[in-house]
Amino acid sequence: MRHTRGAIFWLLCAIALAVIVFPLIDIVVTLVRVAAPLLRPSLFATTTQAGGLGVENGILGSLLVGAGVLIVAGPIGVLAGLYIAEFASGRPRALLRFFSEVLSGVPSIVVGYVGYVVLVKALGWGYSLLAAVVALSMLILPYVVKNTEVAFESVPRSLREGAAALGLSRLTTIRRVLLPPALPLIVSGLVLAEAIATGETAPLLFTANWSDLNPQLGLTHNPFGYLTGTVYYSFNLPSKGEHQLAFAAALVTVVMILLMVIAGRLITMRARRMTANLEV
Amino acid sequence: MNIGRHAAIGVALLAGGFLVTACGATANTASSSSAAPGGGASAGASATPSAPETGNPGSAVTLNEDGSSLIYPFLEKLVDPLHAAYPNITLAPAPGGSGKGISDAAANTVQMGGSDAYLSSGQMSQYPNLLNIPIAISAQAINYNLPGVSLPSGQTGLKLTGDVIAQIYEGTITKWNASQIAALNPGVTLPSTTIVPIRRVDASGDTFIFTSFLSATNSQWKSQVSFGTTVTWPHVGTEQTGNGNPDMVNRCHATPGCIAYIGVSVEQSALSDGLGEVELGNAAGNFVLPTQSNISSAVSAGAGSIPANLAKPLIYEPGADSYPIINFEYIMVQKNQSSADVALAIRTFLMWAQSASGGSQSQYLGAVDFVALPSTVLPPIQRVIAEITG
Amino acid sequence: MLVRGRARGISPSPAPAGATAGRESVTRWGDRVTHAVAAVAGMVPLGALAFIVIVMVVSAIPAILFSGTGFFTGSVFSLGSVYAPPIHHHGLTAPFGASYGALPLILGTFVTSLIAIGLAVPISVGGVLMLSEWLPRRAQSFLSLFLELLAGIPSVVFGIWGVYTFGPFMAAHVYPLLTGLGTVIPWLKGPVGAGQGLLTASLVLAIMVVPIVAATTRELVRRVPTLAREGALALGMTRHETAKVVTIPYVRTGILAAALLGWGRALGETMAVLFIIGNVLNGYPQNLYLSANTLSATIAGTLDGALTDSTGTDISALAEIGLVLLVISLVTNFAGRLVIRRVSDQALPVGRGV
Repeated sequence: MRHTRGAIFWLLCAIALAVIVFPLIDIVVTLVRVAAPLLRPSLFATTTQAGGLGVENGILGSLLVGAGVLIVAGPIGVLAGLYIAEFASGRPRALLRFFSEVLSGVPSIVVGYVGYVVLVKALGWGYSLLAAVVALSMLILPYVVKNTEVAFESVPRSLREGAAALGLSRLTTIRRVLLPPALPLIVSGLVLAEAIATGETAPLLFTANWSDLNPQLGLTHNPFGYLTGTVYYSFNLPSKGEHQLAFAAALVTVVMILLMVIAGRLITMRARRMTANLEV
Repeated sequence: MNIGRHAAIGVALLAGGFLVTACGATANTASSSSAAPGGGASAGASATPSAPETGNPGSAVTLNEDGSSLIYPFLEKLVDPLHAAYPNITLAPAPGGSGKGISDAAANTVQMGGSDAYLSSGQMSQYPNLLNIPIAISAQAINYNLPGVSLPSGQTGLKLTGDVIAQIYEGTITKWNASQIAALNPGVTLPSTTIVPIRRVDASGDTFIFTSFLSATNSQWKSQVSFGTTVTWPHVGTEQTGNGNPDMVNRCHATPGCIAYIGVSVEQSALSDGLGEVELGNAAGNFVLPTQSNISSAVSAGAGSIPANLAKPLIYEPGADSYPIINFEYIMVQKNQSSADVALAIRTFLMWAQSASGGSQSQYLGAVDFVALPSTVLPPIQRVIAEITG
Repeated sequence: MLVRGRARGISPSPAPAGATAGRESVTRWGDRVTHAVAAVAGMVPLGALAFIVIVMVVSAIPAILFSGTGFFTGSVFSLGSVYAPPIHHHGLTAPFGASYGALPLILGTFVTSLIAIGLAVPISVGGVLMLSEWLPRRAQSFLSLFLELLAGIPSVVFGIWGVYTFGPFMAAHVYPLLTGLGTVIPWLKGPVGAGQGLLTASLVLAIMVVPIVAATTRELVRRVPTLAREGALALGMTRHETAKVVTIPYVRTGILAAALLGWGRALGETMAVLFIIGNVLNGYPQNLYLSANTLSATIAGTLDGALTDSTGTDISALAEIGLVLLVISLVTNFAGRLVIRRVSDQALPVGRGV
């Protein structure tokens, strides 16, 4: 009796595991299967201009907005994480950390709405790189902050004590003592934030809008394409080729994110090993 | 160590991507698009404009367009020939939907908006500088998915009138074998399948012309629902919605018993998916399909005259063969552009798009089953195009 | 030893004792600037949050005045038609036929997200237990990579997969079987539709939040004291009983926190739902298979139409929807974080997947 019940329990658990594993496999298989006719080098050298079936403008736009997000949210997030981990204390620290985490709960469509109403229209930036970067930065900021915070906090106490004993200034301590061991985790946080930004759609629909052309020079008044937009818009177009393009773009997006996730993971592993070495 | 190299590669990739992007950007340099909100400069400037001035602008101009997903495939066809004719004009269309076409053009976030619907009087008074300019004519088919119905010879689709379709979308006719439908289709054995009306969820020019047709043929619809790119649909228990025309086709294809309104430019894929095409009752009491000749009949009946503001419905026009749901496809554009070059590029594009040797060739129009504007409406349209100045 | 070596190595310019006063003031100045700059940056997340909340509240005011409590009780959400004469209500103008009753959207949001999290929690716990009890360590680290990748699939990709593969498959093969349960749960009675509707959206959401819940569960299960588990086994308990008596109680609170965070994500999820749920705005589906709508999908699906309304009330109504969504999301997120605080001061995954 005990064992039958146990067997049923574990059978259900096995099914649960299968349910976790199966969708990802099926998603990738579906993407590859539908996108197959378009999976050739020219996919990356073709824009969607004039009915073209390619992801060039999508990739360039995604990389550009990703770089912009790194430039904006990167320093702010790292400094904010540094502040929470190293400078703030007591109640302010708890509150700042808490609200930064709560910011991560804001639905992305709400950020899209705010981006459109304020950045695109009220500030008059139009559909633009600037509006898209600011909107996406709001979304990923909490992740950068959190990872930076964790990175600094995981630096062994002995290092700080050593620095203090040497009479190093705060700035020098941070730059020379804390930053080197914290850096890999900070970088992996940035890479993962970048992955999040690459996969977002809703905020971009209303801040970047769409363009079939490659991104143009200019921070404002320049709508541009992005990979998730290629997926969204192409899926809603009538021709079979455009339907395939949606899946091809989805596959490219997934692969890009996959590479970032793996990169982030490798950096984290390295960081863990390094920190382990530092523990006395 | 090894992992360190991975990290370095990652950083290099990111940096490389940035560089590539930057290069891509410079290759396309055209800092044309900082359109300023309408300043009302040209109010008294145009006394009696003759043919609008056109030509290749002195500097490269990118015309960003956003709007109707029906116009998008047509504009995509025009990109290359336009660029060949005027090397400094690059057309960059986007398929955001008619609603976005109107609002983006109004907000000046793009140079041109595409819409299947003309501006409402409220929009015209709110945006006095916004023009709606026809560039082609489209039509809408009514499709259904009813397997196993055999039609008498000579009949290729079920016959329906706007009045009956309105009752379907109101939920008062719920079965395909309802007496009102049977009365229009003598000799057809109709199944008792439940009707699944499918409608658009996004703000759509297709919804606009479809509800215009229902308003023209059913007085209750006109007073209670009216017409628009979005309307307050009566609640029908079985209804479904589609996001964009292709989605309408997919859903109808997957749903036996469905009825859906679909722009003719995707009608090919609807028919190849096995959907039936309704023979629609016109004002003369005949039942007609959206063929090129039936659409042309309706054009010559309805598009003969056009008001000065160019906002003109083409629904339920007279004529024995006239197909009852056709419409102008519009480009929304601001009178006052940021620079003379941008204004010149827009005028040039619009004039070229209507010209029989330019965008109005059958190889472009035919690809999306559009019909060229009749020559009678060109003079008033060109008068409006001439108002676009920089 | 290593630490000391390191510290020496990385401080080429430690101020020697008796350094000049000038140098010291420079460092102190540097400290102060660093502190100030970091403090400003530290305020940015709070500022962004406040900014978002203020914008949403201000934008929503006209709609709040227009519909009053009707927003929470009405069952028809429609932007109306801008081509007919506008209507007037409570001193405000809105398009003809406009009606901002969001109850079906609020219910749709809760139903989809609750079904999703209700499925994701047992699936995650079961899967993780299976893995940690029966499979080798290597497989475990593989699964965590797997979960990160699953979390990395963009919402829009789940959307096209749901429409193209998953929905039709479920409608053809699984839902007809589920209708058999219709006698027990009336909402499972037919017709099953084409695979786009409330249930399909809920199932896809469940798959999307599994990574959040499972990653946390795995972390928690790993922390179960080995001594307790081995003790239970030594007492002659089966693995099943050990899981029930030791492991699950140990991780319960942590899973609650993860569930709250996952729920928060399911509530706000937009693109996938927009594709899959069928987007009906004026009423309730007659069963779980048919079209419905959620708050987030309504904003994404109708913003373009709302923007064409020259009275501005339509767009304000969408802001009110956004505000309600924001409040619900923030409350669940808030609650999740409070629970986490109680369980551990360690960092658990932040709300959104990728």
